[in-house]
Amino acid sequence: MHELGLALEVCRMAEERLGTNALASVRAVGVEVGDDAGIEVGNFQFCLETLLREPPFDGARPVILRQPGPVLRLAYLEVDDGRPDN
Amino acid sequence: MAVRTIEVRERVMARNDEIADQVRERLLAARVPALNLMSSPGAGKTLLLERTLTDLGGELVLSVITGDVQTQNDADRLARHTDRLVQAVVTAGACHLDARQILTALDAIDLAATDLLFIENVGNLVCPASWDLGESAKIVLFSVTEGEDKPVKYPKMFQEARTVVFTKLDLLPYVPFRVDRAIDFCRQVNPDLHYLTTSSLVAQGLEEWYAFLWAQARSSKRAG
Repeated sequence: MHELGLALEVCRMAEERLGTNALASVRAVGVEVGDDAGIEVGNFQFCLETLLREPPFDGARPVILRQPGPVLRLAYLEVDDGRPDN
Repeated sequence: MAVRTIEVRERVMARNDEIADQVRERLLAARVPALNLMSSPGAGKTLLLERTLTDLGGELVLSVITGDVQTQNDADRLARHTDRLVQAVVTAGACHLDARQILTALDAIDLAATDLLFIENVGNLVCPASWDLGESAKIVLFSVTEGEDKPVKYPKMFQEARTVVFTKLDLLPYVPFRVDRAIDFCRQVNPDLHYLTTSSLVAQGLEEWYAFLWAQARSSKRAG
């Protein structure tokens, strides 16, 4: 339950950053998780996978970046903006 | 297609912490200390508060916010011991209270007429430790029916807390629990903790608890 609440917060932060309509273009969500963050990483990853699979997302991939310490941070959003490659 | 990476590097708890600061400002402006009571389920938070409301409610104006995953049973129990509104937060699945829930609950509480606010958190030794509610202090209740080594199993809870209240002392003759050993475990994770020993059932150690609460209320009024 704790992990689900945190995963929902990550989704809310992505929405705040990009706007709801752009969330379907998110390909990956990078989250730094500290060893002392009090988070069960497998559970957290599962919660993120479940949420990012469904609208307004469209199958974005969670990337958990393990760190020392208590950090829990949304590190980056990888977005396919639809423009052709140069 | 072009895939670009947007650097964010923002703490996941940042929004909660912003709202917790708003809670803190409101409590500070009203000079109301807020004590966040945390423990495992069944450690005796509600019974201690029932006793406290009955014994101190005539002298101090006490307000309470309760958090439970389901039901408002605790709030109903406490309401029988006070004529003040007891604000129940049903978290509907979440295993902790967050700052947004406290900010909303404050709207229903007359802070100007409150001397001390209790927040009875969801019974859980893990998650509540991670969420800043804007409280003045976190207090852990530690019952003698639990393992003495709880502090080293759940270190964050005891690191975040300022005070440990041992509960159910009346059961000590029947359980293999030694308070001194439990304090040793507490000191391993946090050497600065303050300890109280109580039994709400037989009213043991409650005078020290009440003196602690009076000190909280007085220091808040002086600080303002």
